[in-house]
Amino acid sequence: MRSIRRLSGLTFFLLSGCNEPLSAPIPTAHPELDAPVRGGVLHLATTFDLKSLDPATSASALDAELLEMIYAGLVDFDASGKIFADLSENYSISGDARTYAFRLRRGVLMHDGEELTASDVKRSIERALHPETPSPFASFYDRIEGFQDYTEKKSEHLAGVRSTGRYDVEIRLREPDATFLAALAMPSLRPVCKSAGERFDDAWSPCGAGPFKLAPGGWQPSRSVSLVRHEGYFRTNEPYLDGVVYTLGMNAVTQRFKLEAGEIDVFRELTQLDTTRFSADPKWREFGFRETARNLLGEGMNVEMPPFDNVEVRRAVAAAIDRDELRRLRGTNLVIQTRVLPGVLGRDPGFVGQRFDRAAALEHMRLAGWPFDPATGTGGWPTPITYVVTQSGLSEFTAQVIQQQLAKIGLRIELKLVSFPTYLALTQRRHSVAISNQGWNQDFPDPADFFEPLFSTSAINEESSNNTSFYSNDRLDALLARGRRAADPRERQRLYDDADRIVVDDAPWALTLSYPLYVVHQPYLRRYRDHAVYGNFIGGTWLDRGATAVAKRAGVLGSVLGGLR
Amino acid sequence: MTRYLLRRAVWTALVVWAVLTLAFIVNNVVPSDPARMVAGAQARPRDVDRVREQLGLSQPIAVQYGRFMRRLVHFSTARRGDASGPHGACATLGWLHLDFGKSYQRRRPVVDIIGERLPRTVMLALAAMLVQVVVGVGLGMLAAAKRGSLIDHASVGASLLGVSAPTFLLGLLLQFVLAHKLRLLPLDGYGSTAAEHLACVVLPALTLGVAGAAYYTRLVRDELISVMKLDHVRTAIAKGMSPARVWFRHALRNALVPLITVLGLDLGALVGGAIVTETLFRWPGIGALSVSALLDRDGPVILATVVVTSTAIVLSNVLVDASYALLDPRVKR
Repeated sequence: MRSIRRLSGLTFFLLSGCNEPLSAPIPTAHPELDAPVRGGVLHLATTFDLKSLDPATSASALDAELLEMIYAGLVDFDASGKIFADLSENYSISGDARTYAFRLRRGVLMHDGEELTASDVKRSIERALHPETPSPFASFYDRIEGFQDYTEKKSEHLAGVRSTGRYDVEIRLREPDATFLAALAMPSLRPVCKSAGERFDDAWSPCGAGPFKLAPGGWQPSRSVSLVRHEGYFRTNEPYLDGVVYTLGMNAVTQRFKLEAGEIDVFRELTQLDTTRFSADPKWREFGFRETARNLLGEGMNVEMPPFDNVEVRRAVAAAIDRDELRRLRGTNLVIQTRVLPGVLGRDPGFVGQRFDRAAALEHMRLAGWPFDPATGTGGWPTPITYVVTQSGLSEFTAQVIQQQLAKIGLRIELKLVSFPTYLALTQRRHSVAISNQGWNQDFPDPADFFEPLFSTSAINEESSNNTSFYSNDRLDALLARGRRAADPRERQRLYDDADRIVVDDAPWALTLSYPLYVVHQPYLRRYRDHAVYGNFIGGTWLDRGATAVAKRAGVLGSVLGGLR
Repeated sequence: MTRYLLRRAVWTALVVWAVLTLAFIVNNVVPSDPARMVAGAQARPRDVDRVREQLGLSQPIAVQYGRFMRRLVHFSTARRGDASGPHGACATLGWLHLDFGKSYQRRRPVVDIIGERLPRTVMLALAAMLVQVVVGVGLGMLAAAKRGSLIDHASVGASLLGVSAPTFLLGLLLQFVLAHKLRLLPLDGYGSTAAEHLACVVLPALTLGVAGAAYYTRLVRDELISVMKLDHVRTAIAKGMSPARVWFRHALRNALVPLITVLGLDLGALVGGAIVTETLFRWPGIGALSVSALLDRDGPVILATVVVTSTAIVLSNVLVDASYALLDPRVKR
C-alpha cells in the first residue's frame, strides 16, 4: 500500500511538473542601449529538415529563410513586403514595362572574396533556369525573352538577360509582367559565386553575397547548419551577429525546453498549448508576436464533380461554415472571408466576402434542388461525400468541425485521412476528389500569386494541378491576364477586387482561415521583427545577452566522459 | 558449418531481394508523386515535370525497377570518382559495387547517407540492448530468486508498467525529468565528440531499453522458475553445489536459450531503426531517416533502409541460430 502511495506521489509530481509555470525569460543585459552591438551567435531551431542551400533548387520555406541569410539579390523584400534595391544600386523599368535595367553596387564582395559583376548575375540566372537544373520555380520566370528557346536547349544563352557593362544588367521580358520584380526578389535567381559554375551541380558548396556564409563543414545534414558573418558584406556595419546556428529536426517540446534554458533564442513552432501559455504569461507576452499571415486555408470543392458542379451547393458550403468555431481550434488563427490576405494589394477592406449564415446556406441548398429540413434531418444530398484530408493536427480537427457543420445543411461528409504525399496526388488529380481541405502559402506578396495558380484555367492539369477545384471562368481569366500586365497599382487593385468578387461568389473554395505562427523570443534578442515574406528574418537583429551563460548540462556524465574525444 | 552458412547466405539474399521488390512495388503503387515532393506542394506543373525528368521518374515503372536492380549490385573495375560520375553514388569493395542511386530530396549518394547513419543506429541499438539485458536479466534473476516476496511483486509490477508504457510517453517523461528538470543529460541530439555521443545516447537508449528490459524481466523470471524445478538442477542442489554455481551454471544457462531468440530478433529490429525514439531525441540514425524518406516519398532512401532493416533481421536470426549451438550442445548434434 505504501509503495502504491509513493508511486502515486511520483506520478503526481511528474504530471504537475509538466504543467509547471514557465521559466522567467533571460533579460537583456543593457536595456539602456539602443544602438546595436556586434557579437554573439544566434541559436534557432526547427522541426523541419533542410533540403537545399542552392537558390536554384530550393523549395521550402525553411530553405528560403536560410537563403535570405546566405544570398543577396538584385532586389529584395523589406519587412513590410515592399521591394527595394539590394545588390543593385538602382533599377529602372522601360516605358513599355518590358525591360528592367539594374545598376549593381560597386565593390560588392562575394563570400569567396571576388567582386560581384554583371556577368555573375547573368551566369547565375542562366544556371538556375537551365533545363537540366531541377528548379521548382523556373516557370515563374517564363516571361523572360528567350526562355522557351533556352529551356528547350535551342539556344546556349538566355537571350533576355544581358550584361551591358561591368556593373549593368538588363532583363527583357516578352510581355509586361507586374509580378516580375516580386519574383526576382525571391531567392531563386540570386547571384552565386563562380565556384557554382554555369550548370547546376549537387556537390557545390553554397557561396553568395549575403550577410552570412556557410561555416566550413557547417551543414551537417538533418542535424544543423552553422553560418558565420560575411566580413565583406556590402552593408559594412551588418550583420551584427557573429553567426547563426540553426538546429534541424527538433520537436516542439524540446524547442520549448531549450528556449526556457536559453539554449535557443527564438521559438516559432509552438504547440497549441504553448501558444496559449506563452501568450498569456505576463513575463513572456511582451516578447511574443503573431507573424504576418502568409497562408490561406479553405475547403476546396471540385466544380467538375457532383454535388459541387452546382454553384448553389458551393455557395451553401461557403455559408454553412462557422469560421469563428474553426478559429478557436488554434489561438493564432485568423478568419478569412476573401481571397486576398491582409496587407496584400487587391484586398478591398470594405468587401465582406463569404460569411457564416446558416439560413442562407439552407436556401442555397433549396435552390440547388436539395432542400434540407434541419428539424427532421430529412432531405439534402442523398449520398455521403468523401472529404480528403491529411493526417495532421489542425487539418484533421478542422475537418471534423466542417463535417458537423455541413451535416446541418444536408451534406454528409465522410473523412478520408491520408498521408501528405497521397493527399497531394489525389487532390491534384482531375476527377479524383470532390472536396478537400486546401491551403496555399504565398510565394510572394501579390494577389497574382493566389489567383492564378488556384483559379485560372491555365492552372488546370490532369495531374499535379495547382487549381484543385478545376474551376474555370473566362471573365476571371481575362481579369487576371490584365492584372498581370497592368503597371498602375490602382488599376491592379481594381482588377483584383473584381477577381475577388467572382471567386467569392462562385465559391470554388469556401474560405476559412489563415494560421500565422506565434513567435516568442528571449528578451536579450534585440530587434527581432516580423517580416512579410520570410520567417526568422534577422536583418538588424543583435544579441545583448551579457554574461548570462547557458546553465551547464550533462554535469554528471560530462565530468566522467569529458576527456573523451 | 560452411555449407550451413552458405545456405543461409543464399536465403538471406533471396529474402532481402523479395522484401526489396515488394517495397519497390508498394512505393510505386501508392498514389503519390516523388517529383511533386521534391518540387514542393505548390510548384507549377511544368516545374514538377522538369524535376521528374531530372530524377528519371518519367520512365515506366518496370524500366525504373530494371535500372535500379541492375545498378544495385554490380561489378566494375572503375573507381568511385566524383559524385556526378557514373559510379559516383557507389559504395565499393574491390570490384563489387553497391549503388542505391542518389536521394531525391538530399541529392547525395544514398550509400553515403546510410554510411553516416548506420553506425549511429548500431550504437543506439547496442546501448539499448545493454540496458535491456543488464536490467532485464538482473531483475528477472532477482525476482525468481525472491519468488513471492515484495521484490518479486515490485519487479513484475514494474515490468508490466514498462511493457505497457508507449515509447513516446516514456521518452518525453525521461527527457523532462533527466534533461529538463535535473539537467543531467542533453535534451536531444548526437553531439560532436565521443563524450557528447555517449552523453546523448543515454536517454534514447533508456527509452528503448526500458520496454525491452521489462519484457526480459518477465521472461527470465518465468524461465528460471521453470528451470529450477528440473531434475538436473534439483540433483545439483542435492549434491551440495553452491547456490551461485547452481544459478549461473545450471539454471541461467538453460533459461537464456529463449532469451537469446528474443534478443536476436530485438537487435535486428533495433538496427532497422527505432523510429519514434530516434525522431523524438533527434538521433540521426536509420529510424529517423526512414520516417523522413517515407514522408517525402524518397524512393532510393526508402529502398536502402528496407535493405538495411531486412538484412539486419535476417542476419540476427542467423546469429541466433548459431548461438544456440554454443548454449545447447544438442543443437550442434
